[in-house]
Amino acid sequence: MIPLEYYLVVASALFSLGLYGMLTRKNAVNVLMAIELIFNSANINLVAFSRFVTGDTEGQVFALFVIAIAACEAAVALAIVMSLYRITKGVSLEDASVLKG
Amino acid sequence: MEDLAPKIIFWVFAALMLGSALIVVAGKNLVRSAFALLATFFSVAAFYVMLGADFLAGAQVLVYVGGILTLILFGVMLTNRIYSLELNTPRFQVVPGALVSAAIFMILVTVVRVTPWKQASIVEEGPTTARIGQALMNQYVLPFEVASVLLLIALLGAAMLVRRRTDL
Amino acid sequence: MDRLDAVSSLKYFVPELVLVLTLIGVLLCDLISKNRAPMERRLLIVLPSLFGLLVALFFSVSIYFSASGPDPSDAQALFSNMVAFDGFGSLLRILFIFTAIIILLFTIESRELRSVHHGELLVLLLTVTVALIWMANSINLLMIYLALETVSVASYIMVGYLKTDRLSNEASLKYILFGAVSTGTMLFGLSLLYGLTGSLDLYEIRAALMSEQVVASSGPALMVIIVLVLAGIGFKTATVPFHFWCPDVYTGAPTPVTAFLSVGPKVAGFAVLVRFFYGGMASSTGEQTWTMVGSVDWQTILMGISIITMTLGNIAALLQTNLKRLFAYSSIAHAGYIMMGAVALSDRGIKAMLAYVVVYLFMNLGAFLVIIVVHNNTGSFDIKDYAGIWRRSPMLTIVMGIFLFSLMGIPPFAGFLAKWYVFAAVIQAGLVWLAVIGVLNSAIGAFYYVKILKTMFMEGSDTAEPSSKLELHPLYAVLLFVLVVPNIVGLLLWGYLDRVTEYSHKLLDVM
Repeated sequence: MIPLEYYLVVASALFSLGLYGMLTRKNAVNVLMAIELIFNSANINLVAFSRFVTGDTEGQVFALFVIAIAACEAAVALAIVMSLYRITKGVSLEDASVLKG
Repeated sequence: MEDLAPKIIFWVFAALMLGSALIVVAGKNLVRSAFALLATFFSVAAFYVMLGADFLAGAQVLVYVGGILTLILFGVMLTNRIYSLELNTPRFQVVPGALVSAAIFMILVTVVRVTPWKQASIVEEGPTTARIGQALMNQYVLPFEVASVLLLIALLGAAMLVRRRTDL
Repeated sequence: MDRLDAVSSLKYFVPELVLVLTLIGVLLCDLISKNRAPMERRLLIVLPSLFGLLVALFFSVSIYFSASGPDPSDAQALFSNMVAFDGFGSLLRILFIFTAIIILLFTIESRELRSVHHGELLVLLLTVTVALIWMANSINLLMIYLALETVSVASYIMVGYLKTDRLSNEASLKYILFGAVSTGTMLFGLSLLYGLTGSLDLYEIRAALMSEQVVASSGPALMVIIVLVLAGIGFKTATVPFHFWCPDVYTGAPTPVTAFLSVGPKVAGFAVLVRFFYGGMASSTGEQTWTMVGSVDWQTILMGISIITMTLGNIAALLQTNLKRLFAYSSIAHAGYIMMGAVALSDRGIKAMLAYVVVYLFMNLGAFLVIIVVHNNTGSFDIKDYAGIWRRSPMLTIVMGIFLFSLMGIPPFAGFLAKWYVFAAVIQAGLVWLAVIGVLNSAIGAFYYVKILKTMFMEGSDTAEPSSKLELHPLYAVLLFVLVVPNIVGLLLWGYLDRVTEYSHKLLDVM
């Protein structure tokens, strides 16, 4: 049996990596991926505690909700990215036409 | 000897998870990062299996790999100029960023090590699907409904933002 | 305290049910009215939303008054200890629904929103409103997180509602990335708290934190947990160091949405703060004061945040030239003042927070309405374009003056009452120097509020004919009246506000 602490350390590492990505990356989609890492690290914690500390499914239910929320956030974030992409593309095209004229 | 197998499996998946996560946050290529994220999600699902959370492992694969990752890849590939979509907020450089996250990691590891976590006296074994289903319909019925409102609104909002026509 | 199951909880849950039904109904109305004329279609979505909100307001007010006075035994834990039903939540429920009604009316004649369809915006507004109520009443970590995310996701979309506008989109992207990181960080903290105490229920968490062996050894873990959780709460309340998103998002969002964000989520964030710290990490001594549970001195942490937040908010506001940006920093500063109430660790502190948010709602929404009216006429948010407003509309200038003096906390107006409450609460808690810092900050704040007013009295330098009257839509005139009156007669309502907060500061308590 793997002790609880091992899972927690791996989750902490994943959390720190996510934080690193969020601090250093400039690209919006990359930051979004780093955020997914943070969500996953918290979920590992929840499931591990659910198994070792409480021995029931409480933490698993929480993790299930987190997965649903993460999906919502990713969908909305990507929709905003697409919307912004459409605008910025439009702007650059306009710039080009100004240059031509 | 039987004791060794789970340990090896654990460390293999832990290494896979953290290694791919490193590629996700430090890789130069966005598409490669997205595929590395796939490996991370799978290793997390493997962790769930090791922790006896079979239903959750399934949900992880379905939602994260089948849904979120596909969405991200779709977004990346559809908008190939997305590389230029950069945030104009102050960003950390690689070295300070690494130092900050390393410091946070050290703090978290210390906390994990010094805290005497409680141990459950009884651990409910076996498949979790039925138990999770019952919990969702009894104790967690309100969060379940709140989540449905959240999903509805996310669907509505995402569709509205991406739709081309502005008058609708 | 009873522990009610889902079915017996429903009768305490009528306003929320009405709101959820309304949002689904408005969504359907929006769909079936697709082929109607624009005006008709607008009515078909605005009227049902307004009707639903008014019905919900009616039910929440009647719940509030049917509760038989200041008796803690009215309090219930609903849905197997997911949300609380108590005086605190009942007051906030009224505030949120009232705010939503005001914002709904703001959107109708706003120039920024004129070119877009309002259907989804109203559905989003209703969603945020009901989620704010859930957020302010949650007593379970899962429920806190879920409600907080529902509020967040819906407000990300609201900020980016002008999808052809680059600023609005960028604001939305910044908001969602910053928000997701903050709430993710908070989630990690919540997961550790669950592991430390073995429960998701705030009251069970408190019981666990009070037990001997946890107190002895949980110091570092609890410290980390509190810092992580404050990331999420700080994001919602826009307190330092999680305020970075605030100026950009407030500037980019459509102004009615900005006005909503500056009140709704901020107040709900403070409600979570109170529920989390007073419900899970403190216990009442029975003599109007509270003691911290566990081995971490979170009072000092909150005090530090409060001081830095108000100072930084006020100083940064001095430098702004865009009015929406200025009000973003001003709302950060006000978050600092509200936080002072939480620092006091007393019943009086909670009362002060409630009194502050009630008054803040009126003065801040009022100021934003003036910004909307001026923008409708001039199309600008720049302070320099406020020059000459006095000539163009003396009424509007006077009304804005009242809101600004109220925000400053100058005596005859309601803002003074709010400040009085928080300063008195911290002084009573023995933190005189904190009150002094608060007063000094109010003095700094006066500078930039007066600057706005001074500009309004100046001659307009622009070429636009200075004599042209400012157009004021009758609806906005009525709204301005509704918002300005409580600010003027604030001091007369002192006794009433005192009674309201006396009843409402009572949190559900299992001890």
